[in-house]
Amino acid sequence: MKGQYPKIRKLPLRPRGASNNHRFGWLDVVIFFVLLFYVVAVIFPFYNAFVVSISSEAAYMSSDLLLWPKDITFEAYESVFTSSQMWNGLGITMILLVFGTLYQLFFTVITGYAMSREKWFGKNFVMNMILVTMFFGGGLIPYYYLIKNLGLYNTVWVMIIPGAIDTFNMLLMRNYFASLPKELEESARIDGANDVQIFVKVYLPLSLPMLATVGLFFAVGNWNSWYNGMLFVESSNLKPLQLVLREMIASISSSTESPTVQTYSQNLIMASIFFTIVPMMCFYPFLQRFFVKGIVVGAIKG
Amino acid sequence: METTLISRRQSKWYHLGKQVKQSRFLLLMIVPAVVFYFIFCYIPMYGVLIAFTKYFPKKGIWGSLMNNFVGFKNFAIIFNNDPEFLTVIRNTLLIGAGKIVISFVAAIIVALLINELRMRRFKKVSQIIVTFPHFLSWVVLAGFITSLFSRTGIIDDIIQACGGQRLDFMADGNFFLTLIFASDVWKEAGWSSIIYLATMAGISPELYEAADIDGATRFQKMWHITLPGIKTTAVLLLILSVGGILSAGFDQIFNLYNPLVYDQVDILDTYIYRQTFQNLVNPGIGTAIGLFKSLVSFVLVVAIDRVAKLFGERGII
Repeated sequence: MKGQYPKIRKLPLRPRGASNNHRFGWLDVVIFFVLLFYVVAVIFPFYNAFVVSISSEAAYMSSDLLLWPKDITFEAYESVFTSSQMWNGLGITMILLVFGTLYQLFFTVITGYAMSREKWFGKNFVMNMILVTMFFGGGLIPYYYLIKNLGLYNTVWVMIIPGAIDTFNMLLMRNYFASLPKELEESARIDGANDVQIFVKVYLPLSLPMLATVGLFFAVGNWNSWYNGMLFVESSNLKPLQLVLREMIASISSSTESPTVQTYSQNLIMASIFFTIVPMMCFYPFLQRFFVKGIVVGAIKG
Repeated sequence: METTLISRRQSKWYHLGKQVKQSRFLLLMIVPAVVFYFIFCYIPMYGVLIAFTKYFPKKGIWGSLMNNFVGFKNFAIIFNNDPEFLTVIRNTLLIGAGKIVISFVAAIIVALLINELRMRRFKKVSQIIVTFPHFLSWVVLAGFITSLFSRTGIIDDIIQACGGQRLDFMADGNFFLTLIFASDVWKEAGWSSIIYLATMAGISPELYEAADIDGATRFQKMWHITLPGIKTTAVLLLILSVGGILSAGFDQIFNLYNPLVYDQVDILDTYIYRQTFQNLVNPGIGTAIGLFKSLVSFVLVVAIDRVAKLFGERGII
């Protein structure tokens, strides 16, 4: 019977830094316009990319001002949507997105949970082992030969397996678990719950918002992943979307020296960019608060 | 005598066994992490020995160490016989330090602007818009930038429409440096401002009310209340970022640069990559540069931690 309750009106928040009795003065106008300029500057590259993507290549190459779409054509989008390379890249990216994210979330969360429990045999040793890696690393080349020796070279696994635990997100989870009251564990234990039940039935359900945050960070990382692919993947049917895009964009700048490289037209590249960012643009406004939560919790506790 | 020793030893093992048994679930949970960090972080640390060899992948690290050990020769080569290396160090420091300062200031300005804005709806919308670029990859940004700044791009179109000459932005090293900083601000300033906004929201409103009673202007309130309120956070974030000064942003520069601007924007990480995988210089050299970078960064982090503690701030280690 939801309708019975009177809707509680949110109290208007007092804007911090400015008292309510302050009139809307010239400074407010200045702030508004400066911020508006900034917002427009952020949007403009997206707009320009969109205009280029639906204009003809001739219109882009000409020296006329291309502020509005000219010779509108959807050819670029047609070739993107019929390009097997793009769909194949999307397929690989989806594999990374689904399996990579679950895999990273699983290992990062169980490690974070273990590190958040009070004391257990060997905890300090493991914590130090992890912290050292934040301050010192072997560098690119030893890593490269490690991957080759592990036999991960030119497999899809190379873009998933080395990402198992992200130290920053692990610490985020650890801080969150540690902030939940200890009494939860004690009372569950009195009720006869074992370690597994305490973790799965008590702590995990309570940390769903944080799981969502960390999961989203991983998901974005996987969606944007290209680096491991570029280093370790040769077969073109294993390349994720961002890497396919990267090779298209790089073809333009390298074409100035070696004319043999196949170049792509600018409107095709812009259409491909939209192919990769439109899903994010659709979800982001609704998910922004989860991301914000992550950075705020992480910074206050870290 | 003998029996007490044995029983003591037994009791020690018994105690240990009890501890292990008590935490067996957590130990089981931590096994994947130990394996993971060992393989992907500690084996590469052992791999830095490559820096002291003329490395042949077929022989492996141990084989190269036995047969092709060269001591510090690789380091001598990069410091004495590699003029490019010094340029790269200079670029790395310039870009790294420039980014730290510029991003720091930009984030605080954006946070102040959003915080002082009185229109709630625009505040919300603008925050969503300006934080979004953080989630784009540098691959996408490279696409945007080549489209905007190429010789037939819109920026040159605008310059020509205003009666100026078309410029070849992407080939101009000095412009490119500006572009590196500007695109970093475009991508990250909105996102970095969130943490300052959260801190500003935590400042007690009573301080502002008291200032109102004392007749403070808005600038005075910003200067004397808001900025001191975020000081601790700002200092902490600033010193944290100094440790990464030598990682001046591989993703960004690698996706944006071209051979015409190597002189101005080539950094350590891109140099290591190019030397090893494109110019096929012996991996020993690249590992030596990487080791140099890791060591300097490590020393920097430790030094910064000491300095921070000296100034009474919370340390980072």
